[in-house]
Amino acid sequence: MRNLMRILLALSVLITGVPAYAAIDGTQLLKEIDRNLNPESYEMYRKLINIEPSGRKMEYTFYSVKKGLDKIAGLFLAPASEKGRSTLRLGDNMWLYIPNVGKPIRITSLQSIIGGIFNNADILSLDYSAEYDVEKIEETGNEYLLYLKAKTKTVAYDRLKLWADKNKKIPTRIECLTEASMLIKTLYFKDIKDFGGGIVRPSVLETDSPLYKGYKSVMLFANIKQRDFKDEVFTLTYMPKMDSLRK
Amino acid sequence: MYMNRLLCAFVILVVLFVSMSSFAEENPTQTSAGQTTESQVPASASSTEEYKFEPSEIEKKPYHVGGYLEFRPILYGLDKENAFYKLKFFNRKEGNTTEDYDGRLWLEGSYEKGIVGFFLKTNLGLDHTYKGWDHETRIYEGYASLKPSSSLTIDFGKKVFNWGKGYAWNPVAFVDRPKDSDDPELPREGYIAATADYIKSFNGPLKTFSVSPILFPVYHRINDTFGEWNRLNFAGRIYGLLYDTDIDLLFLVGKSKTNRFGFDFSRNVTTNLEVHGEFAFIKNQQKTSVEDNGKVSMTQFDAKSLLLGIRYLSSMDTTYILEYYHNGTGYSASELQDFFSFTDKAFDVLQSTGKENLWKKAEGLFNGGYGRMNPGEDYVYLRISQKEPFNILYFTPALTTIMNFNDRSFSISPELLYEGFKNWEFRLKGMALIGSRGAEFGEKQNDYRIELRVRYYF
Repeated sequence: MRNLMRILLALSVLITGVPAYAAIDGTQLLKEIDRNLNPESYEMYRKLINIEPSGRKMEYTFYSVKKGLDKIAGLFLAPASEKGRSTLRLGDNMWLYIPNVGKPIRITSLQSIIGGIFNNADILSLDYSAEYDVEKIEETGNEYLLYLKAKTKTVAYDRLKLWADKNKKIPTRIECLTEASMLIKTLYFKDIKDFGGGIVRPSVLETDSPLYKGYKSVMLFANIKQRDFKDEVFTLTYMPKMDSLRK
Repeated sequence: MYMNRLLCAFVILVVLFVSMSSFAEENPTQTSAGQTTESQVPASASSTEEYKFEPSEIEKKPYHVGGYLEFRPILYGLDKENAFYKLKFFNRKEGNTTEDYDGRLWLEGSYEKGIVGFFLKTNLGLDHTYKGWDHETRIYEGYASLKPSSSLTIDFGKKVFNWGKGYAWNPVAFVDRPKDSDDPELPREGYIAATADYIKSFNGPLKTFSVSPILFPVYHRINDTFGEWNRLNFAGRIYGLLYDTDIDLLFLVGKSKTNRFGFDFSRNVTTNLEVHGEFAFIKNQQKTSVEDNGKVSMTQFDAKSLLLGIRYLSSMDTTYILEYYHNGTGYSASELQDFFSFTDKAFDVLQSTGKENLWKKAEGLFNGGYGRMNPGEDYVYLRISQKEPFNILYFTPALTTIMNFNDRSFSISPELLYEGFKNWEFRLKGMALIGSRGAEFGEKQNDYRIELRVRYYF
């Protein structure tokens, strides 16, 4: 009888005591979220808008290409003062090519090449699963809440809190935090759109930050397409020639 | 003076007129008159305004024309006791200040079709200085480019190579004109050459490898200021991204200049700290120097130059660029002091007797090695810039200092940069030159300089 009680107790603990997140493979979920946002290799256009409290805007048009887990490059198309500037990220290495300077210079992920709230890590973002481990998952209504921890010290934000739609497995909101859990910025994913080729994802990314009270930055997405590139495209030598990739 | 002011007013009016449309575009209440297509992004749920992303904004054209219009008035506070003042103004009666009004139209154009591309960068300058009006129409870069694959590019024509990792100086830039360390991002004129880039990427510690050979001719009317004529020189760069470190091996061989070899590196140590360096070895470098009594001597030696630098971003968004530069071809503090003493003596002789022999010698030495941008041996460069202080977007104040480490003279330059209007850039920059008599920055022709630079990009 005592043995039976023990077995029943053990079974009840197993059934009721297993937390919800154990049933979900966090790493797999994060990879699914990444793939729902973008193909692993793609090209896309973005418009980055900085909005001041007065309503005044500055807009930047940006073309970017990505390959695999750690290669991404971009090119500014507008405004005229920024046209021709290109950026390259290979893992933790980032460079900026300014036509007037004529050679790539190393930049850091926390800097911002356009000013405003988006920094270089936001503009040249890799897959979340490439940079973060899932520490735990909570379920809140129709959303998952993923607690992410940076895999290395070189990642721009030490921690992320990522809310994702349970059905679509697409982020709705991400809080970017320091190691001490201080909020740096919040990203809001909005306006889901069918981009074709099976890519259905938010077309607007808004951000605000307690460090920039009253300011807002917005990223609009267009023409996201799966496309494969040669590795040589993601090199310093290729940075001045990035426009030749556009069709 | 009247003409100066007239020119200023005219340029300002032109610039303002050309740019009125750009200000209008920033008015948030204005909407696009163009037809909105499927790429238009609808209003977000929380926002009453509508974001637009028109296909015309990302349409690719085979050609590109752009550039900027620049107006740059400069005020120099002269120091009549200094050697460089005497060398530049010895036969003129200037006041305590002199003004420059520089106008520039920088034009860039390109045309690309298939594997062929043509690229052009030209400078059209109109300046008014103490010498009067001057103008320049010059092609800074103009070359044809063949790109048969993503791994291979072949270029023919006038091109800037921009070798080196340093910000203020590049001792390994064997095939480039020297940088202006006061304003390192100013465009430089290229040289005529034939060059190729072959790139290969790998998985593993060596991520990228590239080879860039250069054929560099020096003949009458072809790169004829570079060195000895009627020579075909060979230069090259081998680049690797190895263990997350950029590494270049560079060389120039031929008879126009003595053979020279170098390497550079750059690496991000953390997310906010980058380190870089350069080393150059110049075989059989010749240096002409003068003693204070006017005795000129020439020495030949193997020169070694070195640059070490860091770029650091603080948690307050302050960027620090710090560089140390040892110029192996430069003059020591005592050599510079001898030159300044000799110049003073030559000037006194010229004033008292009218005899020009010594003065011509001083001028010749000035136009040789002593008059270059940084003729000394050891320098320290520090630039501190603060991004958007007090949450003022697009505003970057900065403070830059360049010190001749041997004689402790230095320049200090505060500047205010504002880029808050679309396609406009406003920069107000001052510079004070501090040093004793006989020291490099103490002997420059001016004690201070104030300049405003207004650029409109199109």
